[in-house]
Amino acid sequence: MEEKKDNRLLMNILHEAQEKHGYISEQMLKQISVEQNIPISRLYGVAKFYSMFHTEPQGRYVVEVCGSPSCVLNNGVQIEKFLEEEIGVKIGKTSEDGMFSLYKTSCIGCCDEAPAIRINGQPHTKMTAERVQVLLKKLRTAFKKKKK
Amino acid sequence: MQILHKTNLEALERARMLGSDGVLSLLEGKGLVGRGGASSPTAKKWRECRDTPADERFVVCNANEGEPGSFKDKLIIRHNAETLIEGILIAAYIVGAKRCFIYLRGEYDHLRPRLQEQIADVLPRANLEGVSIEIVRGAGAYICDEATALLKSIMGFRGTPMYRPPNPTTEGLWGRPTLVGNVETLACAAQAVLFDDWDANLRLFSLSGNIKNAGVYEFPLGVKMSSVIDVARPQRKLKAMSFGCFGGIMPVDENMSITPEAVCKGNCKQGNYSIIFIDETNNVVDISYSIAKFYTYESCGKCTPCREGTIRILNLLKKIRSGKGVKSDLQLLRELATHVQETSLCNLGQTCGNHVLTSLEHFPEDYEAYLAKKK
Amino acid sequence: MRRRSERMRIKLNEKEIEADGSKSLLNICRENGITVPTLCYHASLFPEARCRVCLVEMNGKLVTSCSTKPSEGASIVTNSERVVKARKLNMELMMPESSCKREEDLEVCEIYDEVGMGKPRFPQIKEYKPDLGAAVIRDDNKCINCGRCVRVCADVQGVFAIDFASRGHNEHITPYEEKHLADVACIRCGQCILNCPVGAISERSHVEEVVAALNDKKKHVVAQVAPSIRAALGELFGMPAGTLVTGKTVAALRRCGFAKVFDVDLGADITVMEEACELLWRFENGRVLPMITTCCPGWILMMEFFYHDLIGNMSTCKSPHEMLGMLAKTYYAKKAGIDPKDMIVVSIMPCTAKKFESTRPEMKSGVDYVLTTRELGRLIKMKNVDFASLPDEDFDPVLGVSTGAGVIFGATGGVMEAALRTAHKLATGKELENIEFSEIRGMKGIKEGSINLNGKEIRFACAHGGANARKLIEQKDKYHFIEIMACPGGCIGGGGQPIYRDPDVLRKRTEAIYAADRSSTLRRSHENPVVKKIYEEMLGEPLSKKAEELLHTHYVKRSRF
Repeated sequence: MEEKKDNRLLMNILHEAQEKHGYISEQMLKQISVEQNIPISRLYGVAKFYSMFHTEPQGRYVVEVCGSPSCVLNNGVQIEKFLEEEIGVKIGKTSEDGMFSLYKTSCIGCCDEAPAIRINGQPHTKMTAERVQVLLKKLRTAFKKKKK
Repeated sequence: MQILHKTNLEALERARMLGSDGVLSLLEGKGLVGRGGASSPTAKKWRECRDTPADERFVVCNANEGEPGSFKDKLIIRHNAETLIEGILIAAYIVGAKRCFIYLRGEYDHLRPRLQEQIADVLPRANLEGVSIEIVRGAGAYICDEATALLKSIMGFRGTPMYRPPNPTTEGLWGRPTLVGNVETLACAAQAVLFDDWDANLRLFSLSGNIKNAGVYEFPLGVKMSSVIDVARPQRKLKAMSFGCFGGIMPVDENMSITPEAVCKGNCKQGNYSIIFIDETNNVVDISYSIAKFYTYESCGKCTPCREGTIRILNLLKKIRSGKGVKSDLQLLRELATHVQETSLCNLGQTCGNHVLTSLEHFPEDYEAYLAKKK
Repeated sequence: MRRRSERMRIKLNEKEIEADGSKSLLNICRENGITVPTLCYHASLFPEARCRVCLVEMNGKLVTSCSTKPSEGASIVTNSERVVKARKLNMELMMPESSCKREEDLEVCEIYDEVGMGKPRFPQIKEYKPDLGAAVIRDDNKCINCGRCVRVCADVQGVFAIDFASRGHNEHITPYEEKHLADVACIRCGQCILNCPVGAISERSHVEEVVAALNDKKKHVVAQVAPSIRAALGELFGMPAGTLVTGKTVAALRRCGFAKVFDVDLGADITVMEEACELLWRFENGRVLPMITTCCPGWILMMEFFYHDLIGNMSTCKSPHEMLGMLAKTYYAKKAGIDPKDMIVVSIMPCTAKKFESTRPEMKSGVDYVLTTRELGRLIKMKNVDFASLPDEDFDPVLGVSTGAGVIFGATGGVMEAALRTAHKLATGKELENIEFSEIRGMKGIKEGSINLNGKEIRFACAHGGANARKLIEQKDKYHFIEIMACPGGCIGGGGQPIYRDPDVLRKRTEAIYAADRSSTLRRSHENPVVKKIYEEMLGEPLSKKAEELLHTHYVKRSRF
């Protein structure tokens, strides 16, 4: 297939597509394939390559725990376990109520304020068990308010 | 800190005055080398890009800082983006590029709105006809720190590296000569052009791990380890230091002068001077395990040794940590780590075994402790 | 990048030689008689250096010979202990326990000894579910991620059905959204099968069903043999590529238990009659042109997925084996007094797409099973038939007489040439003097020519390989008549043919096809006495109502998603 030299770059197109519903659906892949003249097999392959792109529906809050050495050395593993307990799912899964998806991630560049996590792309640093609890409570309240 | 000095578009002005050859000689004279980890001479790269015949050239700023323990580029993007942008424009001016990109890692996406504003502010004032800077949003792939993988990502593919030659400076984006420069390098280029007293010997150190004062520091090359530790303030006695994930793990020697040669003596690589300090309450094997997990997760999968070797190394470390390890596992670990380093396609694979080989060399007792622990 | 030839002196295994610096180390080694094992390397594609099996030492460093060019004075070592160990470990990493067995006829098995593979050291950790379909099936657990299937499907075939997804040890090859090949825009050409060194992709086998049919006393099982089989089947029994084994193929099929053996070349002759008439009819009635041939089910699928606007251009003719299958169950059944419900027609085809073709509802197919050349080879071995020592036998004449025009259907350009030989006679009343159209023979991707019919210039073109087909389609309005074969080389290079490493094999098979044409007594389809008989006794004339009912079909639009 001839590549359409559209000046829009695929990485940005996929990010924008994901921002609509929190994941890149099959329907979106088809749309992008037609608009950009890119084979859908390649589009799917690209979406699956990058850890921040999801091809399945995600929770309202995507929580990513850093698992790299600097965070591990600063209680990172304990924070990870605590999050699993508080949210009630194992790493890689989404909670039943659709609120949280929990992932382990590579270094997010907050090593000087370890341990760090990201929630919907926003870093939260110097995490402790208490801070995790407070944060999750705040998010749960906001979620319930929105549902009403 | 030198890195935070602002150039206010005066460096670009000076570059225009000096002309392309003048700037290149200046950078050569100042001894500016790449700060992404490879330390290749900057002027040489720029010259190669400029002198390769083509109808179009590109400049790409590699802001995909992904080495665990490295957060210096984040500092520059947050606190001196204007100088970085100017560095990109100078590079574009020298090599003759119009379309420029900043490949910003997905983990720094929260910095994008502000960066976008700053580009929109600086660009019109720079008065460079037809030159644009576009932010490409990364999406969580360490391998895209590697130049050819980064270019693949920009072109809309999976970020799998290409063997070299050809180098991106001769054949990069869409087959055209492309200059890929690290954030710190490009910002330094602007500063080196403008400030006569710019010191190439000052480097940014990202310090983290079991220390109280983790952060980005500017030290001269050759700084004594004891001075670094004084600033870092470890919580307990330090046992080891890891240079990112890729550089290897070696013992902390207070008397060491931190130079590439000294680090090399420990069979490690200093890279971009990201040092993760490990104190005596830790078993180095555990740190190696988290590094092995990192590589298993970040390997692109293209070449056999890295794709298959990283998961086998991880499984071996898992086995050793579980108390089921035997002596021959250490031999196999060493064999796999050496093999992956010697036969992989790109420098992720070529360095992903360093942590295994150096931890085996410098901290065999930590491995023995796990072997002795039979479950 | 060096492209022009550059002489330099290098050391190759201690021997000083002169070499062309613009060539890869792999090619230089091969030119100097040194073998280097390869897996992901593909002669027609840009090297990717994925598998890391082709390692050699250059100036003390291990490099992949497929992607590395020498420098002046370089010292290359291909046989040191370090090189051997490194190649072996990469193979071991690729092939954990329970991967391909040594005795299978796979490309990877050929290099086991060269690499020194012993017992696998690493346990299998992959757990993928197999992708089972009607024509092509995949087992990701065997995949070594060499990527040849992906690149062939993309660059050679222009289909892009599959690609790499995920990364690291989770990297695997898949259609989008992990769908099955049967549910996406795959044209079933089987070129991926031909290029998989470990048999992770293979054809859906129907050997068991055919054996069951042969064992069923109540069934009358007939075989019909495509043109391309006779030029390639011998390769599965140690014969050199390009050995014509027509007679032995017929004999082998009889020994396997087939009641009758028919020649699809006859079906091809019938196709020529119908298609040449259809072409002239389109001219005379101002219908859509160019007309595009439809013997290739892979091309038909390509049109149905990607080129809906070409439906009107497609000839309505069925492919030769489908035509013959119908005639077997009508014309032959009547003659032999057999109830077509008790007849099983098995097509022996070089093609995997034909397994799909015979299941198309629009086809109303008379063919019950399609066996590829490779499957026939397995069946023959299963029945303990010593192929090489068989005598030459003839096809059963009732549906077994053919012309040279029929046999050239196996080569790219052959359908066009055969059709033109007859079209000339039908249009002008005169026989074409020079019936060999050298301008459309050979391996060039797109070939073209023209012929004068009653003062009108008819321009024609042929393409083989999906990517070339796409290129030709863009220029389609320059022509009146187009032949498209989805497989490189045409059917002799089909996805069901014996797997070949040396691309020269295609050329040799093609030569055998054209040699068979030259040595035929009859070389024009309209001269075939059985063809005349079938029209006299049953069909009437080409494009008649009966012919339309039995020998023509229509196509559908398929979403490419």
